[in-house]
Amino acid sequence: MDMEIDESPAPKANLPAAITALESATSKPERPSIEISKPIPYTFDLGNLLCSDNNPLPPSPPESLIASTARDTAQALINQLLTTCPITSSPSTGVLMKLPPCTTSLPREKPLPAPKAETTWEKFAKKKGIKDKGKGEGGKMVYDEAKGDWVPKWGYKGRNKEGEGEWIVEVDEKAEKGLENGKEIRGEGRRARVEKVRRNERKQRANERRGRKGEGAVGG
Amino acid sequence: MLRQIKPKNARSARALKAREPLTTENPKTTLLLRGTSCSSLVTTLLTDLNALKRPHSVRFTKKNDIHPFADASSLEFFSQKNDASLLLFGNHSKKRPHCLTWVRCFGGHVLDMLETYADPEASRAMAQFKGGKGVPVGCKPLLAFSGAQWESPSPNQYTLAKSLFTDFFRGEEVKEVDVEGLQLLIHFSVGEEKGGEEGKQMVHLRCYRIITRRSGQRCPRVEVEEVGPRVDMRVGRTREADQGMWKEALKRAKGGEQRVKKNVDMDSMGDKVGRIHLGRQDLSELQTRKMKGLKRGRGGDEKLEVNGEELEEEDIVDLSDGEEEAEAKRLRIA
Repeated sequence: MDMEIDESPAPKANLPAAITALESATSKPERPSIEISKPIPYTFDLGNLLCSDNNPLPPSPPESLIASTARDTAQALINQLLTTCPITSSPSTGVLMKLPPCTTSLPREKPLPAPKAETTWEKFAKKKGIKDKGKGEGGKMVYDEAKGDWVPKWGYKGRNKEGEGEWIVEVDEKAEKGLENGKEIRGEGRRARVEKVRRNERKQRANERRGRKGEGAVGG
Repeated sequence: MLRQIKPKNARSARALKAREPLTTENPKTTLLLRGTSCSSLVTTLLTDLNALKRPHSVRFTKKNDIHPFADASSLEFFSQKNDASLLLFGNHSKKRPHCLTWVRCFGGHVLDMLETYADPEASRAMAQFKGGKGVPVGCKPLLAFSGAQWESPSPNQYTLAKSLFTDFFRGEEVKEVDVEGLQLLIHFSVGEEKGGEEGKQMVHLRCYRIITRRSGQRCPRVEVEEVGPRVDMRVGRTREADQGMWKEALKRAKGGEQRVKKNVDMDSMGDKVGRIHLGRQDLSELQTRKMKGLKRGRGGDEKLEVNGEELEEEDIVDLSDGEEEAEAKRLRIA
């Protein structure tokens, strides 16, 4: 975060003038001053709690001048922190100040980690163009126009169970004729669904059996 | 160079895993070590700088026959072995008196180096200051650089020094900081160059404790008290980073920064406020002032055409409202 601290027009950097200004700032006024005004405004990197002061110092500066410059930078940095960073306080954590991200670019310690290797499935899916369906229209959820909401295609409150719990069912004469003796049209939806599940399981088992046979054929 | 180890048990596997590169990195560890001959000034400086750097530092006390600018392979070995990417090497010789070498590594290899020669007249140890014990260990220091030479359009020894000192002393990279912990200021200053003596100006390293006083205004009045160490150092030899290596070292993982959410913000009460676009308002359907003459009659005979129109319009409005709601809901879920 590079921000100017004062809006006064920066005059030409004049060394002696800067020093006298500094000295006047260090002499204690009646009311402690917290304002810092410099010919060249400070720049900050608040993420690193860093303050850059580009005002020139004289060659071999005396100790008092170094101390006063340090005080000014500290004051400016603390002013900037307290005015721009959001502060939260709680009894458990104390007073915390949120810092913006660092702006000074410093090198990393180690190179970026290499991307993970693809699994067999990921390789195959990529080759076949199979994509993760996610939760949207292609996935488990489907939009129900009548309800005006997203409902699951299967499972709890699934769409394939629609009308199963109805206490009154319209009689379809033609369908009822095809039923076996002693069976009602009422549970027909559920019966058909369960039958579909069983058929699918049978097919799954057959697939596995075939897969095992195929493996054996290749191996032997 | 470290030999490649294949972990044989879970413990060594964990230890190796802890050293793997990360997307967001741990704070850098600093290794402080000394050469074969080392003045008492350099030794105390190493001790004091170690105190500033704790807990992210390792201090070696044995002598090491290393000449960083001639052959840095031993330093690279120490860097890899200790998982430390910052090294501070102290040595003393007649040619290079009270020499501190600041080394930065990337991926176990030396990235850049800077040599500084401490001035024994002006330098003071931490023990020589009164308030030295007042600063708690491991608090994130405030950094400040004063002087016109820290910034330069072309890289020189001072810009390198600024980068290195920032890296050495900035401490842990954090999102939040305790306001109570803002107690230490590390200040670097460098004077203006005299004519004909380029690069000869001392870098003044000063550490101050920050004391805040009430000022009657929003921000406190800040005073500083020197706590040491105090080092005046002349910049010596440098080794700039290799361009390719530097570029590699500056790479950041993609997607690390959060995308700015548009039209959602916080109001002064701390409530989340969103702004949505509703489309252009249809002014032809605006409800104007109702008039008695247009009021709906009770009898079937008196039904006016206007009434019929009004009814229809209402129906249309209701329908479209319902649709909008449904659409909004769908968008929210999707």
